[in-house]
Amino acid sequence: MEQYKLFINGEFVDAASGKTFETIDPGTEVPIATVAQAGKADAEAAIAAARKAFNKGDWSGLTPSARIAKIQDFADQLAQQGLRLAATESMESGRIISYAKYAPLLTIGLLRNLCLLAATKFPWEEEIPVSGNVFAPGREFIRREPVGVCVGIIPWNLPLEIAFWKIAPALIMGNTIVLKPASYTPLTALIAAEAAKAAGIPNGVINVIPGPGGELGNILCTHPDVDKIAFTGSTEVGREIMRMASETVKKVTLELGGKSANIILDDADMDLAVEGAVFGTFLHQGQLCESGTRVLVSSKIYDEFLDKMKKRTESLRIGYQMDPTSHMGPLISKQQLATVERYVKLGKEEGAELITGGKRAEVKGIKGGFYYAPTIFANVNNKMRIAQEEIFGPVVCVIKYDSDEEAVAIANDSIYGLGGGVFSSNTARAERVARGVRTGTMWINNYHVFADFCPFGGYKQSGVGREFGLAGLHEYTQIKRIHVAALADHKTNISFQLMSDYKKIDGFSYNCPTNVVAGHGALSSIYKAVADLGCRRALILTDPGVRKAGLAQLVKDALVDFCVGLYDNIPSDPDLETVDAATATARELKADCIVSVGGGSVIDTAKGVCVTLKNGGRANDHLNMLVLTEPQTPHIAIPTTAGTGSEVTSIAVLTSKGAGRKLFIVDARIMPNVAILDPRFTMSLPKELTASTAMDALTHAIEAMTSTMANKICDGQALQAIRLINENLPIVVADGKNEKARLNLQLAATMAGWAFTIAQVGLAHGMAHTIGTLHHVPHGAACGIVLPKVMRYNVDHAADKLAQVAQALGVNTASMKERNAALAAADAVEALMKKVGHPMRLRDVGVPEENLAICAFHAIADTAVLFNGRPVSDPNEVLQIYSQAY
Amino acid sequence: MEREISIIKLEPGVSQVIKAFLADKGIQQPIRIELNFSGCCDASICLRMDTILETDLTVELEGLTFVINREAYQLVGEVTISYVDEMGKKGFVLTSSEPVGEWAGFGISDIKI
Repeated sequence: MEQYKLFINGEFVDAASGKTFETIDPGTEVPIATVAQAGKADAEAAIAAARKAFNKGDWSGLTPSARIAKIQDFADQLAQQGLRLAATESMESGRIISYAKYAPLLTIGLLRNLCLLAATKFPWEEEIPVSGNVFAPGREFIRREPVGVCVGIIPWNLPLEIAFWKIAPALIMGNTIVLKPASYTPLTALIAAEAAKAAGIPNGVINVIPGPGGELGNILCTHPDVDKIAFTGSTEVGREIMRMASETVKKVTLELGGKSANIILDDADMDLAVEGAVFGTFLHQGQLCESGTRVLVSSKIYDEFLDKMKKRTESLRIGYQMDPTSHMGPLISKQQLATVERYVKLGKEEGAELITGGKRAEVKGIKGGFYYAPTIFANVNNKMRIAQEEIFGPVVCVIKYDSDEEAVAIANDSIYGLGGGVFSSNTARAERVARGVRTGTMWINNYHVFADFCPFGGYKQSGVGREFGLAGLHEYTQIKRIHVAALADHKTNISFQLMSDYKKIDGFSYNCPTNVVAGHGALSSIYKAVADLGCRRALILTDPGVRKAGLAQLVKDALVDFCVGLYDNIPSDPDLETVDAATATARELKADCIVSVGGGSVIDTAKGVCVTLKNGGRANDHLNMLVLTEPQTPHIAIPTTAGTGSEVTSIAVLTSKGAGRKLFIVDARIMPNVAILDPRFTMSLPKELTASTAMDALTHAIEAMTSTMANKICDGQALQAIRLINENLPIVVADGKNEKARLNLQLAATMAGWAFTIAQVGLAHGMAHTIGTLHHVPHGAACGIVLPKVMRYNVDHAADKLAQVAQALGVNTASMKERNAALAAADAVEALMKKVGHPMRLRDVGVPEENLAICAFHAIADTAVLFNGRPVSDPNEVLQIYSQAY
Repeated sequence: MEREISIIKLEPGVSQVIKAFLADKGIQQPIRIELNFSGCCDASICLRMDTILETDLTVELEGLTFVINREAYQLVGEVTISYVDEMGKKGFVLTSSEPVGEWAGFGISDIKI
């Protein structure tokens, strides 16, 4: 009789205790071999070897492609052992030879397929182009790394293949493994160890220790040097393994029991369905966890199906497993045989109708063996124990149902969810049924189909995790995220500043790619701009007022035949539905370019349309910050006001009815591709609107200078914007037809837009947003009213910047102290407002005094306030400013 | 119906746990010791509330009635029942003089109704 030893650290060794045990041929009850029986000391030695090998890195440290060569050598060595493996597999597990002969082939295929998959398709490193944290820019990527020491515990039903369901992914992904085969069937795993040694797999990478599960399990599942456990076996043992693993928080993959439903629809091909049910149940004597041991049959075909299944079952040949003519072999053991007998007895006691089988089988010429006849119970109620508990033998329950829905309900009435099947001549119908069953695998018009690239695993109490394919490989890795800060400066790190008194952000990234075309007649550039963008189908978005003023028609004419439509249903303060409606039109017209003609509302709507058109879905799907990874639908903006700067900014403000407030899309990729500043488009703007939109721009500029994100580039733009507004606003208010002054205001608004889109705004904007939302005060007017008050509030935190603002506003600060100059800036703003007839107080624009307190609470939560030069955290302070402005 | 002894051994404290369970459920039935399958591959022994059948072996122990089917007893021999409640592991541990599988005594069992 052959003798097998343990395989630890690359050597075949006796058990430390010297104990051995015999393996038995279940078809004859004759011993096959003696095997060293591992105990506690051997398990600890195997774990130590695996840990040492892993830490050494000569396996775990190899690149995936470097490991391929060794894995392929391993596969070649297994191929050389193919005949021995197949014969041993059959002899020790009772698997018929005509089935077992495929086991080496399938095992080698699995190794080769998975190692190539790991080397070529597995995402070992993955870039995260958008981190989802707008405060900490940097490169983000993940590395997938081996878990460490894995334990594989395998059952006796398919010992060679299931051993490699653990060995293959563990090794391929760079781990080491301690494998405990089932005590009934340890031999093929030990032959595989011979192949590994011959292939030069480094010592300790694979260790095989046959021995009693109860004793070894306690060590393997609790040892601190074990990182992962992969187990196939009973739910009762799996549950305990999971509990043990939790003590040291090991990863687990569990493939446990099943009571799978094989659903025969009334339109199934009868012969195919009968074969599918017989094969799905009786292959390997029903000792496969995914077996379809509940055959659910439509009442319309029940009698015919049952009759045919009975005849087909009774034609199966039970014989010695090494006989190539056998259809079924023995069960694994006398305990298994007794358990099956107990369940058959129980089925009778429960009232199920025994159709065939229900007894031990004898094989001619063989004395002994654990053979049992394939058994069918009909008229089974799914609540019966024989329908609820896995029998793991050749016993099938046939259950009648009346509708597809009932079949799905019965299928789901189980603690398990491992496999299942549907037989039907209507694939669509079969797939509907398959989708309804809560299980890990559903086969349509087939059964027991495993595949190297297709995941296998259970729902509910059938398990945790998946084996095979990319999903299976992932189970043997862990994820490491690596963040590399884009700006390595503690004064630029917003998070670090939570614990610092220094609140300004020194570093910045300036990215403003909009092509600005400015001047009288700039509109003409649009024809070429569309062509340069590679577009041919421009949709004009505008509002009714702009259309009525004839400005949209000007644009349409300039586009010549590139214009596919004109959409003017955009109100002020657009909401998400506005964007969705405009997007629908753009989709209908197959627009490839958006041209916005209007103020901030139109341009912001257009930005939303560009994102939604590009990325699909609805506008509500895209209310995010800095998540876009590629250019959006091209956008040409033609502002008809000189205030928002939206033609160059990265923000779109849209009202969400669901949220009850204005929300944002913020992303550099929504900055329009082209901004056309043609003064003809602002000539007809009324005096009041000219003043209030200019105050919006002035607020952008001043707050960009005093924000925590202020920087020298934006300061320059802001100061020039302030000068231009101060000089040109009074001129335009006095003479709306002064084209040069109009253009200067447009340029000022654009520069202020550039400044704040990088440097952000502050408290004045937060307060203006609030009274705009709650009391419908035009945004520019609200900004103007609160701006000087906020400047005074900020004076001790931005005196230097405000002093520069004063100079830009024409204040002679030569003899002033910096703080006084800063305060003079606020006075100068108020003087400008008075000069152009801008409202000075909140009461002038209809804000009730009693509502100021609630406004203060809303304002303090506005995003803009986060960047105010002076930290704002007390709503009473904000209320005080509102009161001053009242 | 036949009465035999040495079918079952109760570890200290087990009978009190079982009695408390029965009282909590308001059940007064014999407890069957039987072969059970809890999924893929390995059978185990479990406890279940049941009625006595003609062919059962029965034993009265510490005020409780246990039954086991004759064939099962022949296979597993004397069954020892202990109870654990430590480190998240809570339930009955059943072992037998002839282990039903290599994982015998590894998992835990509750009393099935």
